[in-house]
Amino acid sequence: MAEQDFSLNLDDLRPRPAEKKRFSEYFMPRRHSFIIFHPDRCTGCGACEMICSTRNTEKVAPVSASVKVVRDEKEGKNFSILCQHCRKPLCLPACPTRAIEKGDDGIVRIDKLFCTECGLCTMACPAAAPIKDPGSQEIHKCDLCEGDPLCVKQCPENALTFTRGKAVRWIKGLRWTSQLMSFLLLVMVFIGTFCYFRTGNVNFACPTGTLQNIASSGTIVLVGVSSALALLILTVLAGRLFCGWVCPFGFVLDVVDKITPKKIGWPSFLKSRMTKYGVLAGAVGGSYALGFQVFCTVCPIGTLCRAYGVQSFFRSAELAIVPALASLEIGERRSWCRYFCPVGAVLGLTALLRMIKIVIGAKRCKKFSCIQCAEVCPVGIIDADKLREGLSPKIPMTECIMCMRCIDRCPYDAAKIRFRWQKATPGEVRI
Amino acid sequence: MNLLGPFYNMKIGVVDLSASSAKVIPLDQEQVSSYLGGAAMNGAILAGYETDTLVFGTGPLTGSFAPASSLMIASFVSPMFKRLCHVPLMLRTGPDMKFSGVDYLAVKGTAPEQSVLHVNHGKVRILPAGNLAHLSVPEAIIELKKVSSPFQSVILTGPAAERGSPYASLSISTNGSLDKTGLAFLMAAKNLKGIMLGGTDGLSFNTDNPDQGKELEKIISTDKNFKRKGFYSVLKNLEGGKDAAKSLKADRKKDMACYHCPSPCMTHVRYSWRDPRNKETPNSEEGLLLLDHTGCIALAKKVGKNILPILRACLHCGLDPVAIAEMLPQGQTLPDYLNAVDKIVSDNPPCTTGLSQRQCLFGGGIPSIVTGDLMEKRVALAMLLGICPIFLLRFPQITDAALLSFISTREEDLKHLQESLSSAIASLLSAQFS
Repeated sequence: MAEQDFSLNLDDLRPRPAEKKRFSEYFMPRRHSFIIFHPDRCTGCGACEMICSTRNTEKVAPVSASVKVVRDEKEGKNFSILCQHCRKPLCLPACPTRAIEKGDDGIVRIDKLFCTECGLCTMACPAAAPIKDPGSQEIHKCDLCEGDPLCVKQCPENALTFTRGKAVRWIKGLRWTSQLMSFLLLVMVFIGTFCYFRTGNVNFACPTGTLQNIASSGTIVLVGVSSALALLILTVLAGRLFCGWVCPFGFVLDVVDKITPKKIGWPSFLKSRMTKYGVLAGAVGGSYALGFQVFCTVCPIGTLCRAYGVQSFFRSAELAIVPALASLEIGERRSWCRYFCPVGAVLGLTALLRMIKIVIGAKRCKKFSCIQCAEVCPVGIIDADKLREGLSPKIPMTECIMCMRCIDRCPYDAAKIRFRWQKATPGEVRI
Repeated sequence: MNLLGPFYNMKIGVVDLSASSAKVIPLDQEQVSSYLGGAAMNGAILAGYETDTLVFGTGPLTGSFAPASSLMIASFVSPMFKRLCHVPLMLRTGPDMKFSGVDYLAVKGTAPEQSVLHVNHGKVRILPAGNLAHLSVPEAIIELKKVSSPFQSVILTGPAAERGSPYASLSISTNGSLDKTGLAFLMAAKNLKGIMLGGTDGLSFNTDNPDQGKELEKIISTDKNFKRKGFYSVLKNLEGGKDAAKSLKADRKKDMACYHCPSPCMTHVRYSWRDPRNKETPNSEEGLLLLDHTGCIALAKKVGKNILPILRACLHCGLDPVAIAEMLPQGQTLPDYLNAVDKIVSDNPPCTTGLSQRQCLFGGGIPSIVTGDLMEKRVALAMLLGICPIFLLRFPQITDAALLSFISTREEDLKHLQESLSSAIASLLSAQFS
């Protein structure tokens, strides 16, 4: 009989808690507590280090503090080294004894009982926030004084502020309301109005449909062109706001995304954002060759909007295109919008003339320790690697659907909307 | 009961540079009880050694939760004024000295070769520093950082002091200091380039009520001076300060504070300039920490808007701006002024800084925020307890009792401490230790 192995490994002793999203978190985000450092206010007096060290060591010893003020004498700038209690802390997997844990309250703590003072967490943390005491060799790391940070209270210049994160994300609420209302209006009430709508002297037409119409008929009708301008002007003024806030198929995709949060990903050869311009060219070329608006027959937006009421909605066979394209959502969020949508392509080209832009990386941005903006971006245009390097990523506005999730999610208010001609502002926080 | 026990390491480092020996001995408790600390204690220690001895010391509140507890005091017999002087050294030098495990440091003799002292973990080491000879202050600090002994603070003499310039001034890191009475000259004469303070230990103090400092801060927060922060605000209230402030135009200003100071009186300025003597050099952005009010006023009177590049030149060479202002001619161009500063460093022309015997008691660099006896008493109080004198001058509502309550809140203890403080202030001002 084979000998049984009764030895225990680390997984038996200290199993990693499962990363599970609570049901309530789909509606109310989990509060992310942390301390914001304002370098412009800090005078470098070290009051934070003093008080923190008394909590850590019961004596005043600034080098034993969990917060460190780094003074750049030449530049005249002060920086703080302070744990940001990252959502996905790098120190946590780096710890060989699993002494670091992230509690339900979001606070990352070191369990002194298991800490061997190896210092691997210090090396893993991009901000070097776990600080090794040069005297006792202990590792000190901010635990937010269990929710009531002393350093924040002691700072005479209010250079440290404690936040529990955003409780309500009002942009999220507004966007969902707008998407739902648009869906109901375009699909259920004003049926078929997205493709072409006319009341009195006011005309509205889908710009992609208009392009195909011109190609298929071989004539340019001024009324048709001008009616397509409404959406294009909106795009010039506010970027691809239509895609993020109005598009009924975008709403369907966002709902499907909520149902299928886990993504399988697409092979890299499929992931070309230029494909949608190819689809657009194909749609226009096909319309020219065949003499009818080729893409409009399978357009998911148009199909939804032409479903003629609740009854027909379920009967119409052409609606099969909607679940078929929505199933792309299992690969990546808004896969259709990213790679294939010709309407998005037209709006993307128009967005070259946009008046606004989104900037990420104002002075407050903690970049590497947060990266929430990159995680929530549905079209994946925020470069997480750039953030990890401590640099401000450039947002390609031709791809941005202006959903403003990045602005809504950023706990540091570092993502902003700016006019195109405004200086990019983002003062780099170099550590 | 030793009230001051938690406020000191109760250690004094004694360095004999001639014998290349350094030892740490216990501090005399009785002496501490009677003099409290700071300048008075420095004087008492100095009395036990040769006249060329240098004593660096801290006050009981240095490094504690008392506001602006940043002070280290250097005491010595000034080679220029032939009398006892106490120079305040701010920023983080005082706390870092204490956190290095030593409260006082007596340096006697002359080293056979240029040396630096490294203080940490309650030990003092003498390290050779021949490689720092003739380097400017920033260059010397870069070299020091390459040494395996880490440090939190450093005080350093510049090339001017090495050349025997009597108007050399000590530099705390690259920022200069309020030394105008020959401390740097004396250090250079001892072949002592600087002192590195490790600051990696700590001290317990009375940490029962860490909010005590915050409570005191609330009292002064109603004062109009509290909101007028930064170098420029203090400067404008001094005689000739408004004109100096106008001359000190910079591209960017940021107020900076010493250790645990709630109302900063220093400002870091950034300005762009190009050395006009060398047309090939490109424009560069320079940064300076302004902390010497009297130096800036004196220099601004002479050189006007050229002050920042000249101040930078002074700080790089470790020169006292007040003395340099005395020697520079008026109405010259910037290249002439810069050449003149270089010539002063190499030629050492004779000069008087115009300091009176009274002024030089406390280093001659403390700005006259208040006048008369009050000024002397407040500065003496600061120099005894280890609090920044500029802070105490700016906020006269901070009483002796409020500061002593950081040591003990018991009434009888306070009474005893008050008596000791009064006698120490009196003896300090009468300079009976000289």
